[in-house]
Amino acid sequence: MGSHLFGWAALSLYLAAEVLAIVSLRRPKRVVDGAGAACLAVGLVLHFADLELRARALGSVPYRTLEGSVSLFGWMLAIAYLALWIRHRERAMGPFLIPIVVVSTALGMLLPVHVVPVSAQTRGALFALHVTFAILAYAAFTFSFVLSLLYLIQNRQIRRKQTGLLFARLPALEIIGRMNRTSVSIGLLSLALALTIGVARAQKLWGSLGDPKIAWAFLTLIVYAMLLWLDRRGWEGTRVAVLSIFGFGVVLFSYTVVNLYLSTAHNFR
Amino acid sequence: MSLIAVPEARLMLLGWNLRVADVAVRERVAFNSDEVRDALKQLIGRGLVAESVIVSTCHRSEIYSLSEGDARGEELTRFFAEWRGLAPGELSKSSFLAEGADAARHLFRVAAGLDSMALGESEVLGQVRQALKLARESGTSRTVLHRMFESAVAAGKRVRTETEIAVRPVSVASIALELAAKVFGDLSEKTILVLGAGGTGDLFARQASEAGVGRLVVSSRTRERAEALAGRVSCEVIPWEEFPARLPAADVVVGTTSSREPVVVRGDVEEAMRQRRGRPMFFLDLAVPRDVEPGISEIYNVFSYQLNDLEEVARENRAQRSRQVPHAEAIVEEELSKFLGWMGNLSVVPTLNDWRRRWNEQRDTELERQPAAERERLREFADALYGRLLHEPMRRLKSESEPGKKLDRLEAIRHLFKLDDE
Repeated sequence: MGSHLFGWAALSLYLAAEVLAIVSLRRPKRVVDGAGAACLAVGLVLHFADLELRARALGSVPYRTLEGSVSLFGWMLAIAYLALWIRHRERAMGPFLIPIVVVSTALGMLLPVHVVPVSAQTRGALFALHVTFAILAYAAFTFSFVLSLLYLIQNRQIRRKQTGLLFARLPALEIIGRMNRTSVSIGLLSLALALTIGVARAQKLWGSLGDPKIAWAFLTLIVYAMLLWLDRRGWEGTRVAVLSIFGFGVVLFSYTVVNLYLSTAHNFR
Repeated sequence: MSLIAVPEARLMLLGWNLRVADVAVRERVAFNSDEVRDALKQLIGRGLVAESVIVSTCHRSEIYSLSEGDARGEELTRFFAEWRGLAPGELSKSSFLAEGADAARHLFRVAAGLDSMALGESEVLGQVRQALKLARESGTSRTVLHRMFESAVAAGKRVRTETEIAVRPVSVASIALELAAKVFGDLSEKTILVLGAGGTGDLFARQASEAGVGRLVVSSRTRERAEALAGRVSCEVIPWEEFPARLPAADVVVGTTSSREPVVVRGDVEEAMRQRRGRPMFFLDLAVPRDVEPGISEIYNVFSYQLNDLEEVARENRAQRSRQVPHAEAIVEEELSKFLGWMGNLSVVPTLNDWRRRWNEQRDTELERQPAAERERLREFADALYGRLLHEPMRRLKSESEPGKKLDRLEAIRHLFKLDDE
């Protein structure tokens, strides 16, 4: 499974979508916008083919390995953005979000390949669900992170009375806030499901809940649940945006340091 | 740019706009929709022009027409003077006249917002579209003016998407409303509270109402003034003493009173924010001296602006817009030359030449497939057939005396035989 032909093709389409997204932000044109979405859609199909080939090579779901899970993360992010685009024609996020898709898709192909035999832990539908929900949650939190950055940028422009191009193109604060709320809610729900399945399996397989990953997942849950709660109690606005950026830091830490060095069950070996 | 090569028909523009005519004259020549329809019918009915479209807004009244060779601006002026019951001299003194490419260029610049007081404003594009719509309904825009107006609208759209001429708002009220819209999203579900019903309050209430805000509430120390305002703009009036208690329900608060002391105080705003659970509030202080206590912008989620800030932004934005003019003019010229090129071809000789050329190409393609020995004879045959077949259409085309009809037919031929697309 060395070559990743489909993966690279998908990556170049994502890059094209990014370029088109930037062009479209500068000068909105329906054709450019549509072309960007089409690139993204075809990229998603090719990316899926790449994941499928990985799965065949591994004889299991492709995200049993680190590079596979990063790749799936990029795929989910792209699909979520495409859904947002189709529903709301929301184009301002593209230039900021697609780079994350590009980087994770690229990482998915550039990271050293681990060929790990299938074990009892990494088999079955529950394992697949667990990982899918977890990655979906990460994708949702990444969305919230990007939205929060946009919120801070737009807030700054409004306060400084800068009524230029970016001001005109970025959505209103209230709308960004609403999208952020939706993203965090989806993330929380997915993470709660992933955690429930994970805890149940941990108990069944090892009879213990000593995995540090569980603690970090709980911490993540608490941060984002608090965010939603505070959002309704006067923190709506920049404070929530900053909290979401902090939450994303926790997610990143959990996905990298905790996975690779602290948790033995999540180190992809 | 050379004058247009249509000897049979000429573009003409007779207009009064804010540059050449003062308000008194502009008011006299302004048309409402019914008057436009009526004037168009009369213009055509009397055979003064072959096609006509009238653009009438509060800043301009412009009559675009396509007329036969000898029709002059004076005749049009006389017609309008008579129609409006004015002295022709008075009307022509303050009018301007343009012909051919200059007339077309003027329309393109108008559509692009380059002729507007607020450079690049977008309303005029809708007004140009509306003018074309009225003329189409009255059957007075045909081949040429239809194409000209559509091209002008296309140029106007291009100018607004490809340059930043329309990006930055240029009046204090529009800047304030845009800032508010970027906080709240849709203003149609929001409440605006206007304090004071004097000149500024009145003006802002109108603008806000036109911008389509959800609820407009007005409060003034002199209640009669607020009631009078409510007669002009649809809004709710609340007693002056009640307004602090109503603050929590207001998303946007605009101060326009002549009070010596601030009328919106920090304590009231803090209380309002508590009741709103931190949902953003937007304060706009248009009063001198200030109506809104300074320092409220330190409260979380309170946005506060005053007149000076916004005037400065307006100045900057106007300067920004004028920097876009050369780029906009270039787009206008590009679209204009496309249109003029099309129009230049829309006369009998070029059309017949193009038609002949198309025939020759197709004849030669067919001849290629025939044995070499036969070709000479077949060519003669084909040319004879062509001559016979097209003799009558060409004769009729040349002898058509009504310019509008002639242009329609030329356009039909150019379209049916694909003479314009290479």
